[in-house]
Amino acid sequence: MRKRPDPLGSLEHIVLLAVMRLASNAYGMTVRREIESATGREISIGAVYPTLGRLEAKGLVKSYTGEPTAERGGRAKRYFRMTADGEYALRNTHEIIGKMSAGLKGLQTT
Amino acid sequence: MRSRKLQVVTWAFSWLVPRSEREAILGDLAEEYSLRVKAVSSGAASEWYLRQIFTSAASLLWARVCQAVWPATLGVALLGYIAVGVAEFVVNLAISHSSVSGSNGYSPAGMVVTFPIVVLIGYWAERFRRKAAIALGAMLLLVVTVMTASSSESLPLWYRIAYFVAGPAAALIGGNLPTGRRLSD
Repeated sequence: MRKRPDPLGSLEHIVLLAVMRLASNAYGMTVRREIESATGREISIGAVYPTLGRLEAKGLVKSYTGEPTAERGGRAKRYFRMTADGEYALRNTHEIIGKMSAGLKGLQTT
Repeated sequence: MRSRKLQVVTWAFSWLVPRSEREAILGDLAEEYSLRVKAVSSGAASEWYLRQIFTSAASLLWARVCQAVWPATLGVALLGYIAVGVAEFVVNLAISHSSVSGSNGYSPAGMVVTFPIVVLIGYWAERFRRKAAIALGAMLLLVVTVMTASSSESLPLWYRIAYFVAGPAAALIGGNLPTGRRLSD
């Protein structure tokens, strides 16, 4: 039986959801923009990368290097994709949030 | 093409970025900058770029401190030490305005009042970082040793011993108080 993972931190949770939404196009700047457009708050690239690094260290995402491009000054992208453990951790966190918010008035989502 | 100012800021920023993430982070910034130049204006893009650099620098520095266990512990202990210094100064100032202070500049009343404050600071240091109270106690012991060795004042022996032991002991007592869940391990 798989060990129940620790619940994700709030930024880890949001970043992992962004990686999931972006699927094969998840790299630092798209993750940042996805979060910004969903939350309406500006987030720095310097906050996104340490979080992605933590998620990778926990085995919840994997990264691989893409091709360098001219508009990036010849620098390569670092793509991220969610692992099966990442998906399990997300489900677990959502389950906890669901249980904790069940029956609380004003917290029902549509 | 970015201005000279942005190039210099980028160069300085690159030293803060871990080598393993340098290429990706600088590439991401360059990519979005060029997109914003096309979509909005060069000025707005530069403003966004500088804001990203400065907020990212703060985030990356904090991430580095949190990842490195000992610097973070020593950092919390150092903040605790500063708090002890401020508390001691305020207490001694308050006592010097009253008539409780002892002769020859030593202040047993100050020591008695400061002791629980140091316990409290040790407690909070330990809550923020495991073993920070031990580091705080070691710092206090080091400073007290240097001060005692270099002091030419003729203080009573009991006071010297109490002064030597009180600060580190208070920090260790604070660190051993039940903290519940730590804020950061």
